[in-house]
Amino acid sequence: MSFLRAFKYRRKDTVVHRLDPRSKFLLSVVLMMVSIMFADIRVLLVLISGQLILLFLAKSLGEWFSSLRGLVFFFAVIFITQLLFGGTFYTGIVLSLRLVALSSSMSWFFLSSTPEDIGRAMSVAGLPIELTFSFTMAIRFIPVIYDEFQSIYDTQRSRGLELEKGGFRDRIRNLMPILIPLLVGTIRRTYEIADAMEVRAFGASPKRTTYKPLKLKSGDYIVCIASAILVVSALALKMVYGVE
Amino acid sequence: MVKIAVENLYFRYPEAAGFALRNVSFRIEEGESVAILGENGAGKTTLAKNLNGLLKPTEGSVKIDGVDTRSLSVAKIARKIGFVNHNPEHQFFAEKVEDEIRFGLRNFGFPEETIDKIIQEVLSVFGLEEYRGKNPFQLSGGEKKRLAIASIMAWRPEALIVDEPTIGMDYAQKMNIRRVLRRIVSEGRCVIVITHDVDFAATICERAIILSRGEVIGDGRLRELLSDDELVEKASLRKPFIIELEEETGLTGLEEDFDILSSILMEVFQKCRS
Repeated sequence: MSFLRAFKYRRKDTVVHRLDPRSKFLLSVVLMMVSIMFADIRVLLVLISGQLILLFLAKSLGEWFSSLRGLVFFFAVIFITQLLFGGTFYTGIVLSLRLVALSSSMSWFFLSSTPEDIGRAMSVAGLPIELTFSFTMAIRFIPVIYDEFQSIYDTQRSRGLELEKGGFRDRIRNLMPILIPLLVGTIRRTYEIADAMEVRAFGASPKRTTYKPLKLKSGDYIVCIASAILVVSALALKMVYGVE
Repeated sequence: MVKIAVENLYFRYPEAAGFALRNVSFRIEEGESVAILGENGAGKTTLAKNLNGLLKPTEGSVKIDGVDTRSLSVAKIARKIGFVNHNPEHQFFAEKVEDEIRFGLRNFGFPEETIDKIIQEVLSVFGLEEYRGKNPFQLSGGEKKRLAIASIMAWRPEALIVDEPTIGMDYAQKMNIRRVLRRIVSEGRCVIVITHDVDFAATICERAIILSRGEVIGDGRLRELLSDDELVEKASLRKPFIIELEEETGLTGLEEDFDILSSILMEVFQKCRS
């Protein structure tokens, strides 16, 4: 679960943090698309390097590196499934790099944008409030669920549970004492939040206003232009130069 | 004999700027009942997690029976030092109360034929017999807490750490937990209660360790420490009701008759109200 740290907003005063969430979201989506489009190690490495620059500017490289440890499990799953189902070591590397590129595309965005900013951006885009609110709540609750997971994990370890014991099937079975309390707690909280929102008249007014309107600045236009250049370059690489 | 020895313990969470615990040193002997007191954020739970190996010291050492916790797995320590989380729902996952107790016993490799016997005994001791087949999530707050303690005490650890045992509990539930913990103390086991409920601590523990901002600011007999106005204020605590009452009335040894005393007082309050 430590990889979730790369998606937790950190209050910092940086160029990236000051950008409008809409321009950041656009660049993030473009980076994700490009990560999926290519299976060439060179392109993926360039993409990751670019994202590292963004993370450096957002003063969030530390969080990103610590989250990589959490991805090790997924890398192992990728390599094992590749080797079991006729893939090669090379495709294992490509898929792992793609996973890093994909998670980094979202990581710098979530590390530098508050859930409220993201919700505002979605509202401005015309999405219904039920959807934007659910989305921002989900983001805001990632750290809460992570803390709860840690507490449950500690509690079960104190009862002699050893996750690393036994074979693959035993390890999966050992997760149950952690996942069940986590799931029950999350569902209960969902009902409590729904009640708390209802008693505060959530959804009573169909027209909503915002007290902090979003405004695009020069930096945001630069990000939008960079996103457009990235899309054109990716298409050119794929279609003209035939890069895989 | 020393059960737990903490020497110059410093602890810092990964990503945190400062230490959550600083220069903490104390020893807990076998059979002692100790309250770890302090305001919210004083470092009580962090200290508890260092005592049972869930967290390892950044500097200094924590030794259980003379062995450094760094060299022991959490499971090995848990066999000797039981830990009850402040939220019992963080440990429930089984469909029945009896299976919840069975979980720890199986983890520690108890033979199946003795497990049923232990479960029966534990359910009886903790007053949970009638809930044997019930879903743990359907129990009341007090029953959940009792089940949480029962499921740890089932493997008979030599010491028990209970984190915030009275949180969100009414008077009757607190009294039940108090009886359970006093029973464990009377069996000669070490009980460490982490709380800011001084009234509860005063009726169970002989000794107190008072924390403030990650440092020990008091270690000694609970009654003496909590009679010290300056210390109590520094730790953002208050004097236990029983000590205040003794000071006001000049009577002593009231905690021995706490049950009788509290029922008399309840009656007096009810009469005053009516």
